[in-house]
Amino acid sequence: MVNYIVSGLERSGTSMMMQILLKGGMKVAYDTKRKPDEHNPRGYFELEGGKIINRLMEGTFPMEQYDDMVIKVTAYGIKYLPKNRRYKVIYMLRDLDEIMASMSKMIGEKLSKEDRIAFEHLNNLALKILKERGIEYITVNYNDVVKNPRAEIERVNEFLGGVLDVDSAVKAVDPKLYRNRKEVKK
Amino acid sequence: MTEGKEKKYTTVSIPTTLFKKIERRIKGTGFTSVSSYVTYVLREIIAEDEVPEEPFSKEDEERVKERLRALGYLE
Repeated sequence: MVNYIVSGLERSGTSMMMQILLKGGMKVAYDTKRKPDEHNPRGYFELEGGKIINRLMEGTFPMEQYDDMVIKVTAYGIKYLPKNRRYKVIYMLRDLDEIMASMSKMIGEKLSKEDRIAFEHLNNLALKILKERGIEYITVNYNDVVKNPRAEIERVNEFLGGVLDVDSAVKAVDPKLYRNRKEVKK
Repeated sequence: MTEGKEKKYTTVSIPTTLFKKIERRIKGTGFTSVSSYVTYVLREIIAEDEVPEEPFSKEDEERVKERLRALGYLE
């Protein structure tokens, strides 16, 4: 039995990856307590209305009920994943400035340099924990998925053991939703 | 005749499909065996890990938690 986890910092494309896996035919677990909004027009694809980390911290999240299913646990939750289980983690990466811009828009307040550093450290910590615990994981760059969805989804599919319907999964990627793009000065 | 330091080796298992992929990858390169390639890659990864990273401090953690609450990811 495996628990498939989609992780990464918030606003790094975790919801997009959940949609890709859902379209690709995987069993994806989420509830609809948190409604789609302007920040995630297609929804958040989370359990516990997005508060799964609290349940993991308390040790009350029933991970065994999600065997062979995909769930979303963002970066801060990685250190609370129950031990003695097998996980396969798809860890999303995105340009940190774009993440900060997206979070700022969502919170309605410009995040500081110190916030950026803190989230960068969290990202490093989450990846370090995955390595140290010997958890199977793959990193996927959000920007690469938007630019070249088929190649990236094929890579994810290989990691998952070929279970995805790639043709269908590719349709989940909508470049129009690629907002908060970092401006490149020419 | 001088005796060099004896190198000790052990065995690790990898999936056959991965082994075959590596065999194809190293064709025409300076790597003479899958073992030498895998050793090279693993050394690179270990060296990368040895670069000290700034830790996720208590202050970072409090800041992240505050932001996650504002984003709706923590109670």
